[in-house]
Amino acid sequence: MKPCEKIFTYAVLIFCAAVFALPMLVMISGSLQSPEQLARNPYSIPTTLRWSNYADAINSMPMLLYLSNTLLLCVGCVVGTTLSCSLVAYGLCKIDFRGRKLLMMSVLATMLLPWQIMMVPRFVLIREIGLYNSLWAIIGPTFLGDAFFIFLLRQFFVSIPESLLEAGQIDGLGHWGLFRRIVLPLSWPAITTVALFQFVQTWNDFGGPLLYLSDPDRFPLAYGLERFVSSYADQTHLLLAASVLFTVPIILLFFLAQKIFIEGIATTGVKG
Amino acid sequence: MVDRASQLRSSSSWVAGMAFTSPWLLGLVALFAWPFAASLYWSFCTFDIINPPRFVGVENYQRLAAEIASGRGAGKALMNTVYYALLSVPLSVVLGVLLAVVLSAQVRGQAFFRTIIFLPSVIPVVASSVLWIWMLDPDGGLMNLILGWFGVPPQNWLNQARPAVSIEGVAQIGGWLTGGPLLLMGSKDALVLMTLWGVGNFVVIYLAAISDIPATLYEAADIDGASGVRKLLHVTVPMLSPVIFFNLVMGLIRSVQTFTSIYVLSAGTGQPGESLMTVSLRLFTSAFADFEMGYASAIAWVMFVGLMFCTVLLFRTSKSWVHYRQ
Repeated sequence: MKPCEKIFTYAVLIFCAAVFALPMLVMISGSLQSPEQLARNPYSIPTTLRWSNYADAINSMPMLLYLSNTLLLCVGCVVGTTLSCSLVAYGLCKIDFRGRKLLMMSVLATMLLPWQIMMVPRFVLIREIGLYNSLWAIIGPTFLGDAFFIFLLRQFFVSIPESLLEAGQIDGLGHWGLFRRIVLPLSWPAITTVALFQFVQTWNDFGGPLLYLSDPDRFPLAYGLERFVSSYADQTHLLLAASVLFTVPIILLFFLAQKIFIEGIATTGVKG
Repeated sequence: MVDRASQLRSSSSWVAGMAFTSPWLLGLVALFAWPFAASLYWSFCTFDIINPPRFVGVENYQRLAAEIASGRGAGKALMNTVYYALLSVPLSVVLGVLLAVVLSAQVRGQAFFRTIIFLPSVIPVVASSVLWIWMLDPDGGLMNLILGWFGVPPQNWLNQARPAVSIEGVAQIGGWLTGGPLLLMGSKDALVLMTLWGVGNFVVIYLAAISDIPATLYEAADIDGASGVRKLLHVTVPMLSPVIFFNLVMGLIRSVQTFTSIYVLSAGTGQPGESLMTVSLRLFTSAFADFEMGYASAIAWVMFVGLMFCTVLLFRTSKSWVHYRQ
């Protein structure tokens, strides 16, 4: 690269990074300011950092309660998705049975259906079986698999050599044994990706709680936080502090598992 | 081989196959097939959840057609969605490709710059919506402060129904040049900006595709004396066209289904002046505020068919501009 090209590239990069980073920076700095400071001069670098905003946010909105609900949902959904999707993906990929192609096509076809079509009947179903206002309304369906994650796992299982499974068969393993002892141990990278995406998806999920939960004691963070947006309109410092607290775990997770995130998105084109 | 094939297709493998895929079979019936059929049937019914659905024929669709024709209710929602999609999808593609091109330059700190651009798309939508509500505050919000540096008067953002790209919007610019007020940017424009800020996950897809473009193509272009812009337009963009197409389709579907940010920005009301009342929010309020499940189902079906139609249309046009490598 010629020097002038290099300088130009850096200039563009720094400009873009500044534009994208600025909202995040003012979010953090705003969450550490007093209400007076926010009203007067919110965009200067704060001289005194009001860490108490975070404690105030946690205490004034029941964030710990919301957090425990969010974690319950996340754990439940991750267990449900990884379990069901790995089983289904194995069946679709490693067992040759009548109707397999049709089932595989049904997985792909459901990905094309917008959730709005299913919204009303699913709500009626959840209500009829008595899961309305229960966390199981959100966790339960994950035990029935998710088309996107099944597809992702299937793509990974396909790459496991058939010869390994044949060796297992000769050693007397049935499909359950092959799944448990050969396919699962080899698939941790893919299963971790699914678990991670599902965790983030559940952590961020707003529509599910909005539809299925009515009791404030069961609200997860995403929904609970939104409930405070209009009533705390004059307490921006607390809303920002709560938003930062809500975001930090996801950002940390991203940095810990950056490779998985980036590769997952780059290969599948869909964010969790 | 014949023996093995027949062995694998035996009844025991059928049982095993069904057992392993049983979660999906159940899900397919309970969460897709039945809801699909039910919503189609209910779209021809009045249904308030408490009383059983009552068949009314095409009444819901007639009402929908009338609303679309008059531009009120669902018609207004359709116009809002079209505005948002037409603005946010192409801009996301252009911005995404340009960012990916700059971010693929081999410079020090490349990973740092990539991370910064990607991070906003990781922030949970509820959190970023809280942030944007604050940044879009007409009185002292960050956006107006920045516009002020360029001499643009403060905008009303989330309190203004009229979008920038409209006859009135363009007329405003004319008025402003002759000394009038300028209230150009409305709530949907704010939503578009917020969407563009989260373009990072599209950028990741473009970056992966750019790294797959053979360096020999750029070398050949160099020998031909092509400038940077020409290399972008005649090498990078054609080579990226399959990914651009994929992101166009995904972006279209995503923009029509956008819900959470709109709900949080407008506190679930679609206000001001129904300017944020998009199809997906209208559908939700029809079902769960007005308890018109039948009408909501009709909206969902029209939306689904419309989306399919647009996707097929995109596929048709793709033949002329998407280049798949052999």
